[in-house]
Amino acid sequence: MTSSDRESVSRVKSEEKKRRGGWFRQEFGNPERRMAYYMVLPALIIIVAIAFFPIAYSVLLSVTDSTITGFGSFVGLENYIEMFKNPDFLDGLKNTLIFTVASVTLEFIIGLGIALAINRAFRGRGLVRAAVLVPWAFPTVISAVMWRLMFQDQIGIIDEAAKAIGLISNPILSSNTLMLIGATLVDVWKTTPFMALLLLAGLQTIPGEVYEAARVDGANVTQRFFRITLPLLKSTILVAVLFRTLDAYRVYDLFWVMSGQQLESLSTFVFKSVRISQLLFPQGNAAAVFIFVTAFLIALIFIKVFGMQTGTEE
Amino acid sequence: MTRRSETLRGKSGRKFNRRDFLKMSGAGLAGAAVLGATGCGGGGGGSGELIFSMGPDDAQGTMATLIKRFNDQNKGFKVTHRVMPADTGQYFDKLRTEFQAQSSDIDVIGGDVIWPAQLAANGWIADLTDKFPKSEQGKFLEAPLASVTYQGKVYGVPWYTDAGMLYHRKDLLEKSGFSEPPKTWAELKEMANKVVQDQGVKYGFVFQGDQYEGGVCNGLEYIWTHGGDVLDPNDPNKVIIDSPEAAAGLATEASMISSGAAPQAVSTYQESQTDPAFMNGTSVFARNWPYMYALAGTSDYPKVKPDQVGMGPLPVDDGNELASCLGGWDMLINANSDMQDEAWEFIKFMTAPEQMKFRAVKATVLPTRTALLSDPDIKKLPPVAQGSPAIRHTHARPVSPYYSDMSLEMQDQFNASLKGDVSPEKAVKTLQSNLERIIQQGS
Amino acid sequence: MASATTTTTTKGATGRSSRNLVLFYIFLVLFVLVSLFPLLWVFRMSITTKSDLLASPLVTLTAPPTSTSYNTVFGNPDFIKALRNSVIVAGTTTVICLFFGAICAYAIARLRFRFKSSIMTLILAISFFPAVAIIAPLFIQFTAVGIINTYWAMIIPDTVFALPLTIWILVAFFKELPRDLEEAAKVDGATTLQAFRKVIVPLAAPGVFTTAILTFIFAWNEFLFANTFIFDAAHYPVTVVIPNFATVYTIDYGSQAAGAVVVTIPLVILVLIFQRRIVSGLTAGAVKG
Repeated sequence: MTSSDRESVSRVKSEEKKRRGGWFRQEFGNPERRMAYYMVLPALIIIVAIAFFPIAYSVLLSVTDSTITGFGSFVGLENYIEMFKNPDFLDGLKNTLIFTVASVTLEFIIGLGIALAINRAFRGRGLVRAAVLVPWAFPTVISAVMWRLMFQDQIGIIDEAAKAIGLISNPILSSNTLMLIGATLVDVWKTTPFMALLLLAGLQTIPGEVYEAARVDGANVTQRFFRITLPLLKSTILVAVLFRTLDAYRVYDLFWVMSGQQLESLSTFVFKSVRISQLLFPQGNAAAVFIFVTAFLIALIFIKVFGMQTGTEE
Repeated sequence: MTRRSETLRGKSGRKFNRRDFLKMSGAGLAGAAVLGATGCGGGGGGSGELIFSMGPDDAQGTMATLIKRFNDQNKGFKVTHRVMPADTGQYFDKLRTEFQAQSSDIDVIGGDVIWPAQLAANGWIADLTDKFPKSEQGKFLEAPLASVTYQGKVYGVPWYTDAGMLYHRKDLLEKSGFSEPPKTWAELKEMANKVVQDQGVKYGFVFQGDQYEGGVCNGLEYIWTHGGDVLDPNDPNKVIIDSPEAAAGLATEASMISSGAAPQAVSTYQESQTDPAFMNGTSVFARNWPYMYALAGTSDYPKVKPDQVGMGPLPVDDGNELASCLGGWDMLINANSDMQDEAWEFIKFMTAPEQMKFRAVKATVLPTRTALLSDPDIKKLPPVAQGSPAIRHTHARPVSPYYSDMSLEMQDQFNASLKGDVSPEKAVKTLQSNLERIIQQGS
Repeated sequence: MASATTTTTTKGATGRSSRNLVLFYIFLVLFVLVSLFPLLWVFRMSITTKSDLLASPLVTLTAPPTSTSYNTVFGNPDFIKALRNSVIVAGTTTVICLFFGAICAYAIARLRFRFKSSIMTLILAISFFPAVAIIAPLFIQFTAVGIINTYWAMIIPDTVFALPLTIWILVAFFKELPRDLEEAAKVDGATTLQAFRKVIVPLAAPGVFTTAILTFIFAWNEFLFANTFIFDAAHYPVTVVIPNFATVYTIDYGSQAAGAVVVTIPLVILVLIFQRRIVSGLTAGAVKG
């Protein structure tokens, strides 16, 4: 958000205040504005019809005893109560929370370290950038297959190596804890580069003179990092961390494929309930609504508590 | 820049209006629709093509050979094999989705023996009682035939059968002074540990302990061979799994790992991990289906030769009857298929003695026709010669329209008990209440 | 800029700085190796015979190379079909997303109207949307409309989830374009749409192209919708086919590895050629300068 943007925001807002009432005519009487609505509408319709309408339908299904083939009758919050009693759901919730916090924290710390390290001109920069983009561009589900191959007992190189150096005594795939750690590390492998590149771009917008001035004032490296780098990087960090958090929070394909459908997450619980079980369908919808609402709350926390700007105002 | 805007004005001075806009988005949609139309022409169906759904072919490609033979007879329609996931759980998931979407164009279904009850209860597969008369039914093995029978009606033809068997390495046992394979689970552990110690083999025993359908088969075999069961044989709505026998069965399964006979990793093994463990000579014993015998000495597994491999029924707990999990596949017809007669024609061909024999000899896929078990060419196949007690003592998994849900519970508890996460007693208690809940919810 | 500051501070400490430089490059090499190791290993697996692969990782490491798995993969009509399906689905999704996304993003970046920020928040909310939360209702709807098990059952949800990304990046690109160009065009009598088509589109072409790459990669990698709404091998994309490479009881590890390599190669090429653009696209929305 640049300052000129902010000015225009306040200008538009005050103009709007003056002309409150009859806004419809205001908006559609003006050809440019009308045009703007025509231009925004198609994308909006697609989004609302395909994403928001179904979530409303999910809410409806979650308070009935429906099955995938037949609409049921109203049962109140029973499905939600049952869901919170279901050990699989609780397991999924626990795993999802651990996974989200652990992976995003690691990705942020390592990503920031890498960004700081490569925030300079050096030979082979393009190569490094390409190399780190490859894991990011890799289909998640294929990388899950790939890592599963490496975690396998008998043929997996990582399982074998970890056993050889005494890191593990049991096969990785036999323990939910090890699989959760594995999934976290795979996610770190896959998305740290993305995080690093975002933060690097943010770092490059900080003018060199700011550091120069601080150095003249006698600030040491640590002080410069905490007083200049972090505050100036705040909006980039918030955007990057929020995106990653919400991405990690709905983890599905990594868990599903890498663990051979064993490691439960919130999303795999929904999938299992609505697709495999014949009886858990309403609970699955309740869990879907739960994910949606909590994801929304997470986003809200970032925006309200951390003061993140969505960058939408003009 | 100015020149540019001049050209702009020169070309058209007209204001943008709604028609322009509609034209623009219309073109986009039309373009997309064309793409879609050219792309969507995949799914066959209709006249002339009979769609047969089944998992991937065996390593020997016998299914493809037989389908080709059938098509070469020119019956006026062609059979296409639609390849479904190898994992029976995923295959069933897809199939059910397709039926739920009411858009299935599958005509003949190659279905796991645990499916007919679930499919029939929903009215998705055709009642074949008229096409498949009692006189004909009598020629099939009892247990596979029971798998296609639901509430007194017959919904399919048993295609091939599977029974869990114990594989052993004849050469290794001999060297350690054992003349025959173990009869009880205790003997198995003892022998496995001795051979491992004597000859430095890596593992004593491998089986399928992963959390999936095969894990249910393995777990149930331990329960049955200890005298336990899931449902009361006289009342399919009564759950009886919370018994000392069932708990003892799961305890024996878990003891395979705790005694060191089996590696910890068996709790992650499916068939595809069992094969290399046994066929690379890494393990003395293995529990697997008959198909594994055909892998010995092939280019994928050159180390272990067929004559080193012995097989037989699974061990039991002292004093109990033999029991093997009934596996195998049936041929079913989609109730909504408009090619009922053609479908039946194809099923008749595939389940005829000649075709069954072909697959049995080539890929050790066991026939469901009783008479074939005494056919000289089939009788000499080790899975039949040595494994026939297992084939004759197969037990079916619970027959229920809600089997998928029951299976999910059993997968969960059997695997947890094998890993030692819960005690066998706790596992059967949890199962008792969860299975009761499923049956109650379902009725 | 950064290198200039480095030079001034390290003057007179050349020994330390060259040692630092060596350390720095060691760090870089390690970093690149860790990033690429899994891919290299899977490539190694893909050129190993099945029996060596099943023997042990050490044998795999030293086994003589073979092309068997690639022959299997390319001899598998389902895989070829899946490649084609993935191209069709990802390509169509990209075209549709760019079309609607560009129009919408232009309005948001350039025109003044009420509710702009609510609309942008709504669009952004989609990127927070757990896709799995809507598969059940979408399944029912797609069935009712009759597009279940067709390309549309993948393209439509893919489009919805890629659109926010498209709009987000394009808004950032459009905002960066100099405003006076179109103003001049408008003064000269061009309409909004003409200004958009004749001035913005050519100028924004690099940004649009970048967005296209990102959208394509997104749709190419999608798994959940494909795995849920498609149940016929004729329509499977590669992400569904590869995990299922198997014969009846055995997973074909070599073919899985070979399939993974084949699917990755186009992505690696895209990334190698357009790495600078991709980075600028990825960071466009997040970094404001």
